[in-house]
Amino acid sequence: MVLTNSVLYQSQSLRPYLATVRASLQASLCLEDFSSQLVERHNRPEVEARKTVEALLNPILISRNENEQIFIETSVNSVRLSIKIKQVDDIENILVSKFTRFLMSRAENFFILRRTPIEGYDISFLITNFHTEKMLKHKLVDFIIEFMEDVDKEISEMKLFLNARARFIAEAYLTPFD
Amino acid sequence: MLQLQNENLLISKTLSELIQSPQLVDRIISDFDYTTFHLTTPQDENNLLISITSKSFKDLSKYNATNELNVIYEEFKTDYIEPGYDYSIQLNLIEISNKSQEERDQIIKDISLLKRHLLAIPFYHAFKVYNSLAEEYTNSGVEPEATNEIFEIDYRDEESIYIQPSFDRVTVIFSTIFKDETDKVFGKVFLQEFVDARKRAVQNAPQVLYSHKEPPLEIRNLIKFKADEKKGYITFVLFPRHLTVQKQDNTISHIQLFRNYFHYHIKCSKAYMHSRMRFRVDQYLKVLNRAKPENEEVARKTASGRRFLST
Repeated sequence: MVLTNSVLYQSQSLRPYLATVRASLQASLCLEDFSSQLVERHNRPEVEARKTVEALLNPILISRNENEQIFIETSVNSVRLSIKIKQVDDIENILVSKFTRFLMSRAENFFILRRTPIEGYDISFLITNFHTEKMLKHKLVDFIIEFMEDVDKEISEMKLFLNARARFIAEAYLTPFD
Repeated sequence: MLQLQNENLLISKTLSELIQSPQLVDRIISDFDYTTFHLTTPQDENNLLISITSKSFKDLSKYNATNELNVIYEEFKTDYIEPGYDYSIQLNLIEISNKSQEERDQIIKDISLLKRHLLAIPFYHAFKVYNSLAEEYTNSGVEPEATNEIFEIDYRDEESIYIQPSFDRVTVIFSTIFKDETDKVFGKVFLQEFVDARKRAVQNAPQVLYSHKEPPLEIRNLIKFKADEKKGYITFVLFPRHLTVQKQDNTISHIQLFRNYFHYHIKCSKAYMHSRMRFRVDQYLKVLNRAKPENEEVARKTASGRRFLST
């Protein structure tokens, strides 16, 4: 009963946060082709290049608390989205870093995943106009939202598992001493 | 496989094969803690020489290791020690194959426990000291002064076992190294559970204490290697209950393998995490692939070539 309550509570407080992220993402994923103004026949994600000031828009920071934040940087042809994943202790810290490293080393399969996160965040995505042309925008947003929902769950499950396993192992080792 | 076995499976298999059909062999078999066995037939196929080398032997020889092993392996002892190894025994396979099945099995078991017997020597010494101290205590009723005698075994690079007997307990301290940050964090979780397990489920188990980086007081001045972040110290307090004649063999066999058991299970958890992450990545990929539109619908046309209006 306690568990269901806490799950309910969590999703209740998580919902506005995710709704805000969804709305902001939908609004910022309004991208169009934009050739580089500096180098002829180049086409770069302006949010990464940061050379053409007029192509950049104001970044958005959505924060649930100091441990869970989302930073959306927008530009005319690309959006960079960085997520800070909740980590309250050493174990979660290590699990998050392992998990994000694992994901990011497979970035080429994920198209929109960046190989390194930007400073201060755990994982970054880069969505360009080419991605939105090839993929459905609202499904991309769905993916990000699902990822955010899932990652917390996964981390806490892994932590629970680790504790349960440790308990089992310790008891299994100490029992034969009897 | 939850518990690690004391006997070396490869040795027992090789032996039982060789006893059945002797042949020329030259095999190197490894075990935990950089222990290596060498099985050879130097002269002919019926004479098998088994040698063992271990990092801990330098320390163990202080406790008369060779003689102690000669007592256990009475019938196989030899004066010859293979160069590069610490201890050797010589087996006559013909003699053994003439024995009864039970005797043969016993011999095979004894030999596959060679490493266990080797590492058990300082434990038996410590237990003997404990016994005499305990006797002194029951006779005089006065607590004997704590001896400063600590049995130290450097059994790996920079990792050691320390055994301190006292009149009412024997303290066994393991120092261990965590190779990376993940090991350290996982190790902490595991050790916390070891500490708690006694309070919760197994009351009769030895008491477990854990300290990180700082060695426990008893062995502080014995530490040769510099203290650093990667080090952990695990203390087991064995009570008289674990030190009775009936129990002590089991206690020794079990506690010897603590470090191996502990690190083995850390590795297992890491492997499980890895497979879990792999699965999760596949799931995310599926979600992401949903974002790709299906093959675009081919425009349907009527026979006369007019198109349907999309609604």
